[in-house]
Amino acid sequence: MSAALDLRSTDAGAWSIGVPRLLAGLDTHAVLDHGAHLEVHGPQPIVELPRLVELLTGAGLSGRGGAGFPLAAKLQALHGQRARVIVNGSESEPASLKDRTLLRRAPHLVLDGALAVAAALGTDGVTVAVHDEAAFVAVSRAAAQRPDGRRVRLARTGGGFVGGEARALVRGLDGGPAVPPGRREHLTSSGTLVANVETFAQTAILLRRGLRGFTDTGTRDEPGTALVTVGGAVGRPGVVELPLGTPLGILLTAAQAAPAQAVLLGGYHGGWVRPNPDIRLSRAGAAAAGSSFGAGVVLVVDEATCGLGELALVSGWLARASAKQCGPCRFGLPALAADVAALAAGNPAALGAAFGHLHSIDGRGACSHPDGAVRFVSSGLHVLQDEVELHRHGGCRRPVVGRLPLTPVTSLTSGGAR
Amino acid sequence: MTRLDIDWTRCDGHGLCAELLPHRITRDDWGFPIISPAPASAKELKRAVTVCPALALRLTRS
Repeated sequence: MSAALDLRSTDAGAWSIGVPRLLAGLDTHAVLDHGAHLEVHGPQPIVELPRLVELLTGAGLSGRGGAGFPLAAKLQALHGQRARVIVNGSESEPASLKDRTLLRRAPHLVLDGALAVAAALGTDGVTVAVHDEAAFVAVSRAAAQRPDGRRVRLARTGGGFVGGEARALVRGLDGGPAVPPGRREHLTSSGTLVANVETFAQTAILLRRGLRGFTDTGTRDEPGTALVTVGGAVGRPGVVELPLGTPLGILLTAAQAAPAQAVLLGGYHGGWVRPNPDIRLSRAGAAAAGSSFGAGVVLVVDEATCGLGELALVSGWLARASAKQCGPCRFGLPALAADVAALAAGNPAALGAAFGHLHSIDGRGACSHPDGAVRFVSSGLHVLQDEVELHRHGGCRRPVVGRLPLTPVTSLTSGGAR
Repeated sequence: MTRLDIDWTRCDGHGLCAELLPHRITRDDWGFPIISPAPASAKELKRAVTVCPALALRLTRS
């Protein structure tokens, strides 16, 4: 585990490039209680469903949990049902800290957004699902401070990378195993709206600023700001709010990054990129660089570290994080992780084996875990080509330091998942 | 077009589908099915659905 990403130190590590919206007030307040929240953000206007959909569509607000699905489309897919509203605060991506930072320090903004969506849908309350204990305490305190706090229900989730996937989350909340179901059906078809913590906070900002105020920063297709978690070989790790489309180079300079060998965008289902300073931090920018914006994770692997060794560590973690429900993921990911470890140890034949396994895992599971793991490993092998060559001929002589943060793998209750 | 969908949480890699339709379905290193994207008759695919002991296959129209 990287000491730089220790959770205690990152409570202070929230900063911004440009004017903060979600993080406004956190430079002077450790936590925005209800009074401070109203002072900083003002009261939230309540709008009817058609107006909310119109605003969300105009703002192009897409989900900030990783999948990037437009919130307006989720609302429309409910076809006016009185859906239940769930705030997904499980934040199971080990390198991401943005959601727990919002829940711990600006909980009212998240609750404002969620309650506004619920009100527009004609639903009484919202469920906030969190794993992080400090976030749980902060949200329960925040609910107690609000006149509408009785509309907030809190649920503690079991954690686990795959357990944070929306369908797995809902299954867990409903008393089942917190693993993805076998059939890929949309939650909205069963009257459930699940969205990420930041997505609701952005909604609260949009309601206050209006369309013009919301879209006055960011890119034309992706207006507004985003939270990213920057870590790895940086002097100033933490949660950063920046305008969408900010060049990677600006973030790396502001975060005091060491000379980079490679950068991981999007997290452990994301993709590795070369440290090109011109890459734009947005969904379109990350995609153009062959990666994905995901949940906004930016991790730096420096020139002094063994990149392939770091890749091998996370590959092993991804294998352990599988819910082990689906054969190609259950057996394929450990085989793939063994290939990467063997390659790092200097076995040149392991590269071909890894490509074979990547091919036979991709797209063959009930959730996106195998596909995400394939994207992570294949982009890593591609971007770290020079590293791979060094290892095929004796090694790179750089140390493996655990630059990429990993969390303990909690056992998923997948035993009776059939 | 009728397509064969696999519920990966159910599939145990018994391999009966691949035995029944060797020209359509092969198996990976661990015995799990790889379905050829080439079109197949609905009748043929239906037989694969019925033969699966784990009830992991179903037909969908796309």
